[in-house]
This record gives sequence, structure tokens and C-alpha cells, in this order.
Amino acid sequence: MKKKIPYYQKKKIYGFLFITPWLLGFLLFFVVPFVQSCLYAFQDLTTSPEGMVGEWIGSYNFSYALFRDTDFLIQCANSLKDLVTVPLILVYSICFALLLKKEYAGRTTMRAIAFLPVIIGSGVLMDIMKTDVFSSGVKGAETVYLFSGGGLTGLFTSMGLSPDMIGFINNVIGKIFDLTWRSGVQILLFLAGLHNIPSYVYEAAEIEGANALEQFFKITLPMLTPMILLNVVYSVIDIFSDFGNTIIQMIYNMAFTNVRFGYSSALSILYFMMIAVVLVIVYLVMKRFIVHPEE
Amino acid sequence: MVKTVKMSKPERAKKLMETKLLYRIKTGKWIWTIARYAILVLLAYQLLYPIIYMISASVKAPIDSYDPSVIWIPKHFSATGFLDAFKTMKYMDALVRSLGIGLGCAILDVISCALAGYGFARYKFPLKTFFFACVILTLIVPTQTIILPYYMNMRYFDPLGIMTLFSKITGNNTMINLVGSNAAFFIPSALGAGIRSGLYIYIFKQFFEGMSAALEESAYVDGSGPLRTFVHIMLPNAKNAIITVFLFSFVWHFNDYYLSKQLLGTGKRTLIVALSSLRVDLAAVIGGQTTTDPIRIQTRIQAGCLLAILPMFLLYIVTQRKLADSIEHIGIK
Repeated sequence: MKKKIPYYQKKKIYGFLFITPWLLGFLLFFVVPFVQSCLYAFQDLTTSPEGMVGEWIGSYNFSYALFRDTDFLIQCANSLKDLVTVPLILVYSICFALLLKKEYAGRTTMRAIAFLPVIIGSGVLMDIMKTDVFSSGVKGAETVYLFSGGGLTGLFTSMGLSPDMIGFINNVIGKIFDLTWRSGVQILLFLAGLHNIPSYVYEAAEIEGANALEQFFKITLPMLTPMILLNVVYSVIDIFSDFGNTIIQMIYNMAFTNVRFGYSSALSILYFMMIAVVLVIVYLVMKRFIVHPEE
Repeated sequence: MVKTVKMSKPERAKKLMETKLLYRIKTGKWIWTIARYAILVLLAYQLLYPIIYMISASVKAPIDSYDPSVIWIPKHFSATGFLDAFKTMKYMDALVRSLGIGLGCAILDVISCALAGYGFARYKFPLKTFFFACVILTLIVPTQTIILPYYMNMRYFDPLGIMTLFSKITGNNTMINLVGSNAAFFIPSALGAGIRSGLYIYIFKQFFEGMSAALEESAYVDGSGPLRTFVHIMLPNAKNAIITVFLFSFVWHFNDYYLSKQLLGTGKRTLIVALSSLRVDLAAVIGGQTTTDPIRIQTRIQAGCLLAILPMFLLYIVTQRKLADSIEHIGIK
């Protein structure tokens, strides 16, 4: 008689079967390239008719990037500076999500507009928008053309502001633009999170006499903390892997324009390590604030 | 004595509206209502601004650019911008490729990620936590870190050494070259390793965890196997997650730049890749007739942008309500 496998054993096998396609893809399209990339970083690679030929040069690529290539570390620091926008993105997208949650006339239209950046805001388009739409002013790249259609620049001039001041204000407006076009997915996730908070919590709070502000800080915000973590992680990754990011462009050019494959791999691995460190810090800091509603 | 007045339904609704309005006026909440609409209009304006700008700039005839009285609506319309951009981008060819990759990958992503997400959500197996950490890891490693070997793997496609083994047996060296074909996108997507697949697995896992286990238990008692339970019971109930993942995958594959540029090789371009090199291509094309006229190039680039976002935009207009509703009720925590 055939021996029967107990159900709990079977379940283990089934679970494994369900993730097998992913596991295969993970090995083929992630682990293999990643390990190879790490190996490339220790080599001096040249292309030949038979494919890539590498010569082992130890950690030379890394030491070159860290101690001799002045550009890389400066660009890293610049990327880190971009992280300042993460809290701004969070505040903006929470506010926008709150505005979209309640029922009112025109909500559907507004929701459609709010998600527009998710649909069409690709890196390439953002880049073109930044150079053309936002800054086709007369005074070089930094003057933002944004509200000149509405005559804002003219208004500032007639108010007697110096060109530097106008440039500064334009810059701020340009940054706000950038911010709003980066926040599509975040708004979407927050909206999903807001709808996930059961309404009876608010009803109870209302009976107990909590006002809107107390409800926001004592119910909405704590209940959103898991979503906030997800959004922080998403925003950080998004900023670091953006099309316009200078390090990304540097890594890319190093490989495909300068044909220094090994060095490019070393740079990309250093860059990934920096991202990982930032994410670990973010996680450790935020872990203490996360509320688990079920428990 | 309390007198009850009977009212018809519309009357009651009207009365309720009136009391609400009165309440708003009395408590000063109308200020908030007006303020909210003001904020919304501002937000809408700045989100729609680039699109309005694109439309305005792309239909403008060159003379109007020098006319200070023209701000938004041009006096002279010109379609040459669109025609030039259309030609230079090889629009139809690029559109077909973009849509093919987008749709194919979206379908494959839904299947592979739903399977993996369900496995992670419902089953216990050894190393599960480790594997799920790996899912997250794939999300945080930038594509650029692995793009070189990734490209080489696609160029000399050799999954787990099968091709090498095959060529050793048969004696002739045949390597599959996936670079330049849409399969370079389909195969990773089918195996849950496409663009941002980790996020889709996460969404599906969260979604399935939120579903009641009673359904599956009763299915098991009735003698349904796990795959059958998954296909016939779990998937039909996962409509919200499926719509969300499908649209995300479609949009992100459509809008992708790096992988598309690398894996499709020269000559084959998606809309976004074509858009990215439009400035250079235009200079080469128009170069014969007019030398560097920034305004002409500007018009054509804006037209190109519009053409590139047009398919997504149309799809969005049709599906936006569904997408928004699905996301609001997906229940990810």
C-alpha cells in the first residue's frame, strides 16, 4: 500500500511549488547577474570577439572610486542631499490623500488628475519637462518658465524684486513641481491605507468627543504608519534610481561610453551599498513608531 | 405632544440638504469648503500645467512664438510639429513594440506574481522568511547594478547551463540571442523577475492574507486541490489586486527606459526610447532645411511628448475609475 504523505507535509510542498516560478526567475535574472556584477567589479574588462575578457585586479576599482575619483563621492553626497525631498513628499501625499478621501462633488475628476503622474510621469518625460517646460526662461537653465504664462515673473519684476530673488522663487516653484510629479504612487498608496482604517474607530472617537485634529493625530497617523514606512522606502528607491540622477548617468556612461565595464560595476555596487545603508537606517528609525492595528 | 409629519423621499432629501447647508453656514464650515476647492484647483492646475503647455506649444506656428500677445491659445495653428515628430520617432513601429511589451508583460506579471504572492500568503515552508526578504531585495537593488551581466545573459541566453549542455551534445555552438526581441522582457516577467515584480508579489501577498481562510478550507473539504482552489476560488475574488498589478506593470513597462534601451538593441525602439533621443534625431532630420532653430525643435519635442503619452493617456481615461476604485479597496496594509 502506498504510504500517504500527511497534509501538513503536503502543504509545505505546495507552498514551494507556488513560488517555484519566482524562485527560478530570481536565480536566473537576479542572483546570477548580481554575482557576476560583483565579480566584474574586481576585474579589468575588455570586450573581444569571444565576449568579455577580464583580468583580475583585486580591489583596485573600489580604491580608485573612493580615493582617486573625486567625482563619485561628490555625486554620492549630492544624491544624499536629494533625500531631503522624502519628508516633503510624505507630507504632500498624506495631505492630498486626505483631500481625496471624503466625498464631494468633483472628487472622481480630482482623483484622476492626482494619479496622472503615475501614468505618464516616466523619467524621460520628467527630464524633458524639466529642461523645456519648467526652465525655458531667458536667464539660463535655472529660471523656471512655469508661471510666466500667468505673468508671475512680470508681477515679481513690477514688485521690484531683484532678478536673483525671482530666480530663487522660480527655483522653489520648480522644486514644488518636481515634488508633485514624484508623489503619484505615494498618494495612491496612502489613499489605499486611509480606506483601510475601519470607520467604527472614527465613530467611537467622535462619541468620545475627539475633534478632527485629535482624530488625525491619534487615529489616522498611527494607523498609517505601516504605509508610511512603505512609502519612505519607495520614495528613497525612486529618488536613487531616477533617470535624471547623476550617479546613475555616471555609471551608465562609464560602461557604455567610456567602456570601463569593471569600474562601472564597482561604482554600481558601491552605490547599491549606500542605498542599502540608507534603507537600513530608515527601517531601524521607523520600526519603533510602527503600529500594528491587529495586535 | 409630538407631531410627526410624513414626507416623501425627495422632500426628505431636500430637507436634509437644507439642514446640512444651514449647519455649514452657522458653524463657519463653508470657509473650509471654499478653501478646499481653492486648494484642489491649485493642485489640479499645477498637475495639468505640463500637459496644457505641451498642447499649446506643439500646435503653435513659429510666428506665434515671437508674438507676445499669444500666451496659451495660438493664432496660427500648425501640424508640422506632429508630422515631423511622428516621422522621426517612427511612431507606429515604436507604438506596436511598446504596447506589445506592456500588455505581454502585464499579463505574465499578473500570473507569476499572483502565484508567488499566494504561496507566500497561505503556505508555510522552510526558508519562507528568507525568500520573502529576497523578494524585497530585488526591489531595492537598482537595475543599473546588474544591467551589464543582465545584458550579457540575454545576449548569450543560457538558463542554468542548459544551452551549453545542449551544444556540447549536438556539437555545434548555437546560442540563443534574446537581445532585440520582446522575449527579453517576457521571460523575466513570466518568472516573476520583470520590472518591479517584487512590488507586485508584495501586493498580492498582502491581498491574499486579507482574504478569509474559510473559503479555502471548505474547498479542501470538498476535495479541491490547491491549484484548483487558487484558480477557481482565490483568483476570481482577487479582481482588485489583479487590476492594480496589471495596470502598474503595463505602465511601468511602457514607461521603462534603461532596460528597453539596452535589451532591444539598435534600430528597435519603444516610444520612450524614441522620445529620449528625439532631440538628437530631430537635429539630424531638420538640419537639412533649417539649422538649429530652437523654437522649431521645441515645438516638435512637445509634439513628441504628447504622442508618447497619448496611448497611456487614452487607456487611463477609460480605466481610471476602475483603477482608483480597485486601489482604494485593495486592502494593503
